[in-house]
Amino acid sequence: GSAVKRNTHHIHAVGKGDPQIFAGKAGEARFKVGDPVLVRELPALFYTRTPEYVRGAVGEIAALAYESPAPEDETWDRQDAKPEWFYVVKFDMATLWDDYTGPDNDVLRTEIPERWLVPAT
Amino acid sequence: MSGHDHDHDHTRTVAPMVDEITDFEVLEIALRELCIEKGIFTAEEHRRFTEFAEQIGPTPAANLVARAWVDPDFKALALREPMTASKEVGVDWLEPTGFGTPSDFTAFSILEDTPDVHNVIVCALCSCYPRPILGNSPEWYRTPNYRRRLVRWPRQVLSEFGLVLPEGVAVRVQDSNQKHRFMVMPMRPEGTDGWDESQLAEIVTRDCLIGVALPKAGVTTNVITYTRPAIHPIP
Repeated sequence: GSAVKRNTHHIHAVGKGDPQIFAGKAGEARFKVGDPVLVRELPALFYTRTPEYVRGAVGEIAALAYESPAPEDETWDRQDAKPEWFYVVKFDMATLWDDYTGPDNDVLRTEIPERWLVPAT
Repeated sequence: MSGHDHDHDHTRTVAPMVDEITDFEVLEIALRELCIEKGIFTAEEHRRFTEFAEQIGPTPAANLVARAWVDPDFKALALREPMTASKEVGVDWLEPTGFGTPSDFTAFSILEDTPDVHNVIVCALCSCYPRPILGNSPEWYRTPNYRRRLVRWPRQVLSEFGLVLPEGVAVRVQDSNQKHRFMVMPMRPEGTDGWDESQLAEIVTRDCLIGVALPKAGVTTNVITYTRPAIHPIP
């Protein structure tokens, strides 16, 4: 498999791991822990990993996850795509589901790349 | 083939091991043989990955939790540097390729339960699971049913697993939809005073590490859910 061209970037990650291989390549993170963010309604034709259920919802940055190319680029093997910051974003269940029946402090956390997020006001 | 005018020796014919080879198996063989023929991977690599997949299981994760329960320094390490702590229980996340498995990545995170928060994991998009330390995912974890419902009705789903949480305990659902893989570190239950690590590890089942069950003294196997009989069964 090491002679297969499309495996090249995996071979580069030997000894480091993925996403560690992209560390330091995304530049400065736009958001910090605690920032309120709104998930954009980007077109998701053919592929995305940002769940439909968080689009348009307001959450809070719970952690900076790592740097990596976005799945929308990586899935098509676009090796020149610039890595970006990924964030663990925390949402109140009640803001995601109109009819949420559990208590107010139930939350959902999911990871979202920076392109999908804008500051919430 | 009804005639017997061919020359093979029936006393030397091995009975087939299965009655029928499924379409899936036919395609698996075709794909594997073509990949090997074209040099995409070798037969040796295929065998190495199969053997890797056969030796993984939930034991290292259970050992990690048990050790964290008895050793506060190790617990701090597990929460701060989960992949370093994984090595202490025999799991190197860079295996078996040197850069991790291609589908589990090397961004492991341990979610700690507290008296106020209970964690439970799901991959709503597919079946992402911390396989290097927890083994293969259960069948129900991969079902559209679990994936669709847990993110929206976590308490109802947990109650079907026999886990009813009081309202004072917040449910935190973690959807693993990118490169992070998650595991739950449950709280040490009552009735385990003076237990050693191996006794403690026995009650940390796979289901506890996903978050659909809590460890309990005396319970060393996964949750068995009893399905209700159909109200209008098809005769």
